[in-house]
Amino acid sequence: MGCSYFFAYVHKQVPEVLASFDFVFIKLLSRKGTPEGPFDIALVEGAITEAWQVDELKMIREQSKKLFAIGSCAVIGGIPAIKATMPELEVEKRVYKNLSSIHSIKPHAVDTYVKVDGYIRGCPPAERDLYEALTAVLTGRKPDFPEYSVCIECKLKGNTCILIAENMPCMGPVTNAGCGALCPSMNRACYSCFGPMKQTNAPALAKKFKAMGISRDDVIRKFTEFGADTIEFRKAVETYED
Amino acid sequence: MKIDINYIARVEGESSVKLEIEEGKLKELRLNIWEPPRFFEGFLVGRKFDEVPDIVARICGICPVSHMTTAIRAMENAFGFTPSTEVKKIRKILALSQILSSHLAHLYVLALPDFFRLNSVVEMLPRFDKEIKRFLRLKEAANSITALFGGRALHPVSMVVGGFTKVPSKADTEKAAKELESLHGDALETLKMASELKCPALENNAEFVALTGKGEYAINGGMISSTKGLDIKEHEYTSYFIEGEVPYSNAKRTIIKGRGSFMAGALSRINLGFDNLLPDAKKASEDIGFKGGGNPFLNNLAQAVELVHAFQECAALLRGLSLKSVKNYFADFKVREGAGSAVTEAPRGMLYHYYEIDRSGIITKANIVTLTAHNFLNLEESLKELVTENIDKPEDELILLCEMLVRAYDPCFSCSVH
Repeated sequence: MGCSYFFAYVHKQVPEVLASFDFVFIKLLSRKGTPEGPFDIALVEGAITEAWQVDELKMIREQSKKLFAIGSCAVIGGIPAIKATMPELEVEKRVYKNLSSIHSIKPHAVDTYVKVDGYIRGCPPAERDLYEALTAVLTGRKPDFPEYSVCIECKLKGNTCILIAENMPCMGPVTNAGCGALCPSMNRACYSCFGPMKQTNAPALAKKFKAMGISRDDVIRKFTEFGADTIEFRKAVETYED
Repeated sequence: MKIDINYIARVEGESSVKLEIEEGKLKELRLNIWEPPRFFEGFLVGRKFDEVPDIVARICGICPVSHMTTAIRAMENAFGFTPSTEVKKIRKILALSQILSSHLAHLYVLALPDFFRLNSVVEMLPRFDKEIKRFLRLKEAANSITALFGGRALHPVSMVVGGFTKVPSKADTEKAAKELESLHGDALETLKMASELKCPALENNAEFVALTGKGEYAINGGMISSTKGLDIKEHEYTSYFIEGEVPYSNAKRTIIKGRGSFMAGALSRINLGFDNLLPDAKKASEDIGFKGGGNPFLNNLAQAVELVHAFQECAALLRGLSLKSVKNYFADFKVREGAGSAVTEAPRGMLYHYYEIDRSGIITKANIVTLTAHNFLNLEESLKELVTENIDKPEDELILLCEMLVRAYDPCFSCSVH
C-alpha cells in the first residue's frame, strides 16, 4: 500500500506535474474528489480482492482515455497474491474468527478484468516509469517502458554476477528491469519485486536453482513471493513439480 | 439526522464515519474501516523467515522500515540472537528517517490544508509556496537517509535478520549528517507553523501508551509504559493487550485488559518521553509552551517536536558510526525452533509483531498489531466527544471537525487491515 502517495514519487518535479495535470480523484491527497469521469489518465494501484472493486475498475476504465496499472499489486497481483497459493479459506480463518463480513475474492492483477494501456512496474513503482507514462500522454506518444531483465541493468552497472560468482539464488535473470539492479548492488539476491519480464524463461532458472541444491519448497517460494499470479512464474513452479 | 462521511480523505487507507443525531443528542457513531483485508498473518504461515521482512514491508508504503525492523527483531528474539550496537544504531537511523518522512507527509500534505479550509495541498499553491518548498526540502533529506542505507527510500533492501548486507562509506554518512544539521532551521520553522495552527478544543482522559527507555527517546524496543502506570517488557505484551474483531470493520480493535481504550503515537511518546528529547527539541517545545497534553489534536504538534528531535538525533547517530568494515554489520545466527515478539515505535505509534518458527525456519504462526488497531477504540470515543461538544454546528463544519480529528490521530487504515 502507499502507491497513491504520489508526492513520494514526483517530489523532484512537483511544480511541473502540478502545472500539467489536475488531480480529479485522489483520496490520499484531496477531499471532495469524485470518481465521475471523464479522465485523461487513470493510475490504478492495488490488487483486486473484492467484487465491488471490479465494478469500480470497469467504470473507471470506461471513463478514462488511458489507464495505467501502477505498482506490483496492480501490475502482477504482487504480495497479496501469495494468498492464492494456499487454501484461501484456511488463510482467512487464521486472521478472522468470524468470516461472515469478509467477502474476499481471489486476488488478481488489474488486467485480469480490464484493458491496460501500460504498466508502471515495481514495489515501490519506478519513478522513471511514472514520469515516462505521464510525459508520453502529454506529448501524445506511446510510453517506452523497459522490457528487459534486471541482468541488463546489473551488467551496465558493472556488477559481478552474484548468481554465477557467489551462488546466490538471484531472480534477476527473469525479473523485469526498472530498479537499477538494486539488490545485487547491495550484496543480495534479487527477489523479483518488479515481477517477471514478459515471456521470460522462468523454468530454466528454476532448474538452475535446483542444480544449486536449493530445496523444492524454497524454489517455489522464490517464484511465488511476487509472481504467484503470473503465467511466467507459474510455469516455473509447474516445471519444478514434474 | 444521519451523517455519512463515506470516505475520509487525506488519511492512508479507506474508512468512513457514520453517525446519527437525534433530538440534539448523538445516538450512535461508528468508524468503519472498510478497506479490503489482505491476510498477511494468514499467508505468512508457510513462508520462510528470511522472506518475512520483505513481505511485511509491503503492509505499508509509509512505514515499511518499522514493519521490517519489528519483524527482524521478533525473529532475532526467537533465535536468541543479539545484534551489535552498530547494527542497532543503523536501525535507529533508518527508523528516525522514516519518522521524519511520515510526519512531514502527515503535517504538510494530510493535516495542514484543513486549517486553511482547503481541500488539498495542491490548493495551497501558490499562497503557501514557501511552506511547500520547505516541505519538499525536508522530505527529500529524510528520504535520502533511508535510501543511503536501504538502497531506496521505500522498501529498503539491505535490512535482513542478522544485520545489513551493505553499509555506506564514512564520507557519505558525514555528508548526510551535515545536510541534516543544515535543516535544523527548517525543522524549527515547521514547529512554529504547527504551533500557530488553531487546534479545536477537546479533552481526552485517555491512557497514553508508548515505549520508554532510560536516557533515550525509545524507538526500537524499550519498556511499554503508560500515563496510568503500565510498565511492562515487550514480551509481556499479550498479557496486557487484547485484540478483538469488530462486526462493522475489517480492522481489529485493541484494548488494555480490564481497562479499555488507550492512545499511542507521537503525543503519547511526548507525554511519556519528553525528558528524553534532545535539549534543542526540548527547549524549542518549551518555548512554544508545549510539554504534551490530553487533547488528541495536539498529536500534530507532538509530531512537529519530534521532527526537530529526529533531525538532530539522526545526524548525531550518523556521525557516531564507525563503518570500518561491512563485516561489523552482519553476524551469522543459528535458525532454531521458537517464538519471538518485538515492539517498536512506528512513526504513527506502537507496533507489535509475533512469530512462531519451526526448526527449518518456516513460519508457523504470525500476529501483527498495528498502531491503528491500538488507537481504534480511543479514536471512536474521541469522535463521540467531539460531536457531542459541537452538536449545534452546521453539518459541513461538523463533518470537517470529524475528519480533522481522524487525521490528527494519523491512522493508517491500510496497515490496520494488513
